[in-house]
Amino acid sequence: MNGDDLAGPPSAPAGPLEPWPDTVRWQPISPDLIWVELIRLGVLLAVLLIGLGLGWAFSGQWLFGAALGVVVLLAGWRAATIVRAVHAWGYAEREHDLLVRHGLLVRRLSIVPYSRMQFVDVSAGPLERAFDLATVQLHTAAAASDARVPGLRPAEAARLRDRLTALGEDRAEGL
Amino acid sequence: MSDGPADPRPPAHWPTAPQPGAPGTAGQGWPGHGWPGPPGVAPPPRAEPRQRLHPLSPALHGAKSLVVVIAGLSWSTLSRVGFGWFAAMAAVLALGATVLAVISWYNTGYHIVGRELRVHEGLIWRRTRAIPLERLQAVEVVRPLLAQLTGLAELRLEVVGGGKTEAPLAYLGVAEAAALRKRLLAVAGRPPEAVAPTAGQAAAPAPAGRRLHTVRNADLLVSQLLTPQAFLLPFGVAFVVTQFLSQGSWSFIAVASTLTAMAGVLLQPVRRVLDDWGFRLDRDGDTLRVRNGLLETRVQTVPLHRVQTVGITWPLLWRMRSWLRLRLEVAGYSAAEPDDRNRPDRLLPVGDLRTGELVVAAVLPGVRLTALPLTPPPRRARWLRPLSRSAIGAGLDDRVFAARSGVLTRQLAIVPYARIQSVRVTQGPAQRRLRLATVHADTAGGAGVSAHDRDLAEAWELAAELTARAHAARRADEDPHA
Repeated sequence: MNGDDLAGPPSAPAGPLEPWPDTVRWQPISPDLIWVELIRLGVLLAVLLIGLGLGWAFSGQWLFGAALGVVVLLAGWRAATIVRAVHAWGYAEREHDLLVRHGLLVRRLSIVPYSRMQFVDVSAGPLERAFDLATVQLHTAAAASDARVPGLRPAEAARLRDRLTALGEDRAEGL
Repeated sequence: MSDGPADPRPPAHWPTAPQPGAPGTAGQGWPGHGWPGPPGVAPPPRAEPRQRLHPLSPALHGAKSLVVVIAGLSWSTLSRVGFGWFAAMAAVLALGATVLAVISWYNTGYHIVGRELRVHEGLIWRRTRAIPLERLQAVEVVRPLLAQLTGLAELRLEVVGGGKTEAPLAYLGVAEAAALRKRLLAVAGRPPEAVAPTAGQAAAPAPAGRRLHTVRNADLLVSQLLTPQAFLLPFGVAFVVTQFLSQGSWSFIAVASTLTAMAGVLLQPVRRVLDDWGFRLDRDGDTLRVRNGLLETRVQTVPLHRVQTVGITWPLLWRMRSWLRLRLEVAGYSAAEPDDRNRPDRLLPVGDLRTGELVVAAVLPGVRLTALPLTPPPRRARWLRPLSRSAIGAGLDDRVFAARSGVLTRQLAIVPYARIQSVRVTQGPAQRRLRLATVHADTAGGAGVSAHDRDLAEAWELAAELTARAHAARRADEDPHA
């Protein structure tokens, strides 16, 4: 994966993730999400390292050492991608639908009409709250739809939620 | 959207009246006869007395549990405790189940209030389920063998949002079930015109409307013989027999277990034959009526505008007869129910192309199965799909989006624009190298339709076009409503 088309800031000229540059104004999410993700990764890494380290110390198996090295390498690679993955998240509100794009290795763009919205989730875990962030998720009747926007400031999350519910109520349709 | 217990999730604006079955109020008496309405607040618009299920239903439930008990005790228990004790254990357990069934029957009631069906149940944990009928997707009348002998039927409702079948009302009299089905469908909106005046008092749910197709039972049998299970069974039998002959051990348990295992393998084709026996398809005004089953007859009624996707499958072994199978996805039958027996999604168990075309045209008006404008992905997609590049394809028709896939088992999925919930574009790393992308159209229920490995520019165009057409189709759908 060579992310040359992602090197620039997300609002840069049309890349493959930005299909309709003239009609869509992409909003980036807060870069603070990088820290949240890094801390999550760090916690996971610490747990793994302690487990593997104890195993190594008690059994003396060299395999544990090798696993330790692999885990550290993977974590380093993941940390590098987290930064770019967070920059790759974006959302845009159009007249009739919400666009959400994310993903580095596998890139995804979701187009969800407001009228198809069943309910909106706003959630914020302890770590997200510590960084003053929230996640908005839009649910449709289709289980496959994924329209999740993490890393929003609470004010922006509330605005998005209110706007989505207002638009959804206006245009709600049966299945 | 699947979250454990089956609670119909009312939309935010739904007026929820306090429910008499709520745990908090469980202490106050609930006399068997004078069913009280919801306490407090203004009385609901069109309250009617609660109705009980058919008095024979506990007996049927008890008989059903007898089968379960025997299966649960299994062969090994039988050989360990002897027949007398086995029969006694089964009888005691089944009797207990029957007593419970009587109690639950006594405390179960249903009625239609306004635009919802309320089902009250439970003795200790009272529960009232209010099922909004706007969200009704399909109604099914199921008659297991015992119910057929006693003239009863079970009514099942599919409501979107519930992870599983809502409110199986088991059991009702047949006439009662047919009448209730008619009422429910009428309340559910867009009442089918042909339903109001005729039939309903007749003992059997009388087929009104136009017969679309009847599957010949001989075809059904042949089609199920042309499945891998039936094909491979002789080899399995030969293997087991040689095993036995070489070891020379013929204990009762071994033989019984082998037979059970054999039955397990054959279960699917045999079930298909039993389930799809006498398959008939009727169109009744705006609804589609699917009727099938030998031992257990099912009559499924689906309003046509509830059809989410139609899937067409050409199994490999059926190609010699150029047969196909049609499936129908309705919102509500979610992936939470993997048992395909309880997912009544059959539209045509077996048929030739002409029949398939006819049925598809009836279900999705204006769609011609053989004339769908499907185009294969660009040539460079062969790096990703060396074998199946020419087998996959996708295209936009006037009213539907269609995509085909599969080399050995060819499949085609069709979704009407008006039923598309969301559109997604995904691009994996290899696809990025080749400047390809996959476009998914998600539907409620079923897996949706995906156009794999389209050229990137075409994929964006497809996504934009799908979004626009879905929007326009919903608008057009809405107008007659309002």
